[in-house]
Amino acid sequence: MYRYVIRRLLLTIPVLVGVSLLVFFMIRLLPGDPARALAGMQASPEFIEQTRARYYLDEPLPVQYGIFVRDILRGDLGQSTFSRRPVALELRIRFPRTLQLAVTALAIATVVGVSAGVVSATKRYSLFDNISMLLALIGVAAPVFWLALMLQLLFAVNLGWLPSSGIGTWRHMVLPSVTLGMASAGLIARITRSSMLDVLRQDYIMTARAKGLVEQIVVYKHAFKNALIPVVTVMGLQFGILLGGAVLTETVFAWPGVGRLLVDSILRRDYPVVQATVLVLALSFVLINLIVDIIYAYLDPRITYDGAS
Amino acid sequence: MGTTTLRKVAVLSLVLVLAGALLAGAAGQPEEEVVVRDEIVIAMGAEPEALDPVAMTSAPAATVSEHVSQPLIYMEEDGTLAPLLATDWYANEDGDEWTLELREGVTFHDGEPFNAEAVKANLERFLDPDVGAAYAFLINRIQEMEVVDEHTLRLYLDAPFAPMASHLSHSFVAMISPAQIAELDDPDDITDAPIGTGPYRFVEWDRGSSITVEVNEDYWGDIPEIPRVRFNFIEEDSARMVALETGEADVVMRVPPVDADRLAAEPDIDVVYQTSVRQIYIGFNAQAEPFDDPRVRRAFNYAVDKESIVADILRDNAFVADAPIPDAVFGHTSVGPYEHDPDRARELLAEAGYEDGISFTLYHPTGRYLLDSTIAEAVQAQLAQVGLDASLQTLEWGSYIDMLDTPLEDAEHEVYMLGWGTVTLDADYGLYALLHSSQAPPVGNNYGFYGHDEVDELLADARVIPDVDQREAMYHEAIELLWEDAPWLFLHNEGQINAQRANVEGVIHHPLENVSVWNARFGD
Repeated sequence: MYRYVIRRLLLTIPVLVGVSLLVFFMIRLLPGDPARALAGMQASPEFIEQTRARYYLDEPLPVQYGIFVRDILRGDLGQSTFSRRPVALELRIRFPRTLQLAVTALAIATVVGVSAGVVSATKRYSLFDNISMLLALIGVAAPVFWLALMLQLLFAVNLGWLPSSGIGTWRHMVLPSVTLGMASAGLIARITRSSMLDVLRQDYIMTARAKGLVEQIVVYKHAFKNALIPVVTVMGLQFGILLGGAVLTETVFAWPGVGRLLVDSILRRDYPVVQATVLVLALSFVLINLIVDIIYAYLDPRITYDGAS
Repeated sequence: MGTTTLRKVAVLSLVLVLAGALLAGAAGQPEEEVVVRDEIVIAMGAEPEALDPVAMTSAPAATVSEHVSQPLIYMEEDGTLAPLLATDWYANEDGDEWTLELREGVTFHDGEPFNAEAVKANLERFLDPDVGAAYAFLINRIQEMEVVDEHTLRLYLDAPFAPMASHLSHSFVAMISPAQIAELDDPDDITDAPIGTGPYRFVEWDRGSSITVEVNEDYWGDIPEIPRVRFNFIEEDSARMVALETGEADVVMRVPPVDADRLAAEPDIDVVYQTSVRQIYIGFNAQAEPFDDPRVRRAFNYAVDKESIVADILRDNAFVADAPIPDAVFGHTSVGPYEHDPDRARELLAEAGYEDGISFTLYHPTGRYLLDSTIAEAVQAQLAQVGLDASLQTLEWGSYIDMLDTPLEDAEHEVYMLGWGTVTLDADYGLYALLHSSQAPPVGNNYGFYGHDEVDELLADARVIPDVDQREAMYHEAIELLWEDAPWLFLHNEGQINAQRANVEGVIHHPLENVSVWNARFGD
C-alpha cells in the first residue's frame, strides 16, 4: 500500500509539470498586452516598458517559463501583478475559505444524496422515489447562479433569516454551501440509486434473501457497502469540481475563495496568480483522487494496490 | 461485515462534517449582535488592488484610501481646490516653482509629525522609478524639492506647469507616515496598512471580503460621528443590491441602471445620480480621407441622436456631452450639443463630395464602458440613415488599445469608440493628451492624429500660464474651436448611480467615483 501511495505521489510530478506548461502557455495565448493592461491606458511608453521588465514579460517565453519553474522550486509562487503582494499570501487566505465551503457542501450533498438514493432504490417507483429523483434532476440541472439568487431572495430578503452575502459567522455559510452542494446532492442521489439497484440484483443478495434475512439487513449490511464504490468515485470527482468550480457561488455570495480569485486574475491578466492557483487546484485534484483510491481499499478489501496480491 | 460498513460510512461522514465545522471555526469570527449603529457599511463593486499610494490605480482604492491617507489638496465635487494638508499653494511668476504651505499641528496615526520633510519623503517615493508608481506621471515635472522651513515645501519643476495643484489633489498622491516609508526596505515593498493623517485609521483588510477603518480620535479636523466604516466587496450586482435592501449595507456603489427605478420606489432607499469624469466619444483618424474633412466629421455629429442613446440605452445614467470634457472639469464651457439633424448631415456630406455615402469600420470595445457595444450598434443604425455605412468590429481591450496605439504610418483604424476620465478635474488632462498634435501615438493618447494650430497653441499655453482666469479663458476658446472642428463624434459623459439607506445623511458621492463618509451620520 505504501509503495502504491509513494508511486502515485511521484506520478503527480509529471502531471503538475504538464499542468504548469499548459496554463503557462495558454494564458499567454490570450490576446492583449499584459504590460499595458497592468500599466493602464494613461501610462507613458517608458512606464509600460518598465512594467514589462518588472514581471520579466520582455523575456522570451521559454526563459519566462524557466524563471517560473525556478521560483516554484524555491517555494516562491511569485508576486501578483494586480496587488503586488506575494501570491502565496493570497492563496493562504483564499484556499482555506474555498476548502471550507467545498467540505461543507460535500457533507450536505453526501448526507442528502446518499440517503435519498438508498431510500429511492429500496422503494423503487414509489412516490418518494419519483419525487426525490425529480428533485435530484432539478438539482443537477438548475443553473447555480439562478439557485443562488433564489435562495438569497427567499432567505435573506423575504424571510430575513440569513445574511445575503459575505463571511463572518456560520450563518454566512448556509446559503453558499447549500447552493454549492445542491448539484452534487442530485448527482450523488442518482448514482447511489442506480448503483444500489445494480447491487440488489446480484446473486449474493438473492442468496441473502433466500437465507431469510430481514430485508433491512440485506439492504444496509450486504448491499450498501458494495454500492458505495461508484458513489465514492463521484464524491471524489465532485469535491475536485467544488474546489475549482465554486466561482459562481463565490461571486453571488461575495465569498472570498480561490474560484473568484482565479476568474478575477484571468480578467486582470494577473499571470502569476493564475498560474499558481491552477497549480494548487491541480495538486488538490490529484491528491483527492489518491485519497479516493485509498478509500476504495478501505471499503472493499478485495481491492488492493500492491501488485503481488 | 455489514455493521462495520455502516460504521465506516458513519465515520467518513462524521469526519467530513467535523472538518467542515473545524474549518468554519477557524475562518469564522464570533457572531455579534448590532444594537447601536456604530458602523457604516459601504458595498463596493470591486476590491482595491492596494492602499499604498504608489500601488493604487483604481477608484475603489481611492475611495478607501481617502478615509485614511490624505492628499495635500482636496478636490471638491465641483472641481474647486480646497485646503487639506496644505493650507495654501502658489507658483512663482514663471510658473515653474510651486510653494506649498502645510497645515501645522497634524500628526500621522503613529504619532509622527506631519511636516515638509514628511511630504518630501512621500513625493520622492512616489517619483522613484524603482518604486514604479503607476501614477507618477501626475507629478513627474518635479525635479527638485526644497524644505524651506518646518511647514513650507518648494517644488522646482522642469518647465512651467499650471495644473500642478490639481495633480497634487489626486487621491493617489496621499501622505503616509515617513516612519512607515523608512520601514519599507526594498523599493518593491508596499504597505497593506497605510498610516496616514485621515479622519479614520486603518484596522483590517480581510482579503476578498472587506476593509475596516475606525475613527481617528486625534484627527486634526472635525472628528467623524460614525466610529467605524466597513467597505464590503460584492462584485455581483444583484447581490450588492440585495445587501442594501436587507440593510446589511448602508451605501451601495454602482447601481445597475435597470435596478435604479425599482430601488427608488422603496421608501427607505435613496438613489443618487451623479456625473462622472469619463467622456465617451467616437474618434476619427483625422489624417485619413475622408475623415480629414471637418464637414464629414460634423455630419457624423448631426447624424446621431445622443439624447435617445442617453435616455433609452443608458436610462439617464449619462449626460449628453456639450463639450469635449465633462462639466465638472475646470475649463469646461458649454458649447453643444450637436442637434440630431439627419438632413443637415446629408447636406454636409454632399458638400464634402460624399453624397453617395461612406463605408468604414467602426471599432469599439465591449464591456469596457457602460453598454458600449449596444451604443455602437445604435450609432451604426443612425449613421446608416444618412448613408454612413459602418461595419462594427470589437476587440478585447488589450488588443484594442494596441491597435489604436500605433504611429500614423502603421495605423489601420479610421473610426473608433473610446472613453477618457479627466481624473485631475483639470482641462489640461482631458484635452492635451487627447487632442494636442504632439500627443499622437506612440507619445500620447491622440489616437486620431488630430492637429489644429490654434488649439495646439492654446492648449500648450494654458498648461504653463499660472493665472487661473487666463487659463480658463484659453480653455473656453480651445473648446469652441474644437467643437466646430469636431475631431470626435461627441457622445456622452457617463454617470454613476449609487444608492443609500434613507436614514444616512452627509455621504459624499464624488464625480471621481469615490464615496466618502467622514461627514456622515445616521438620522431617524
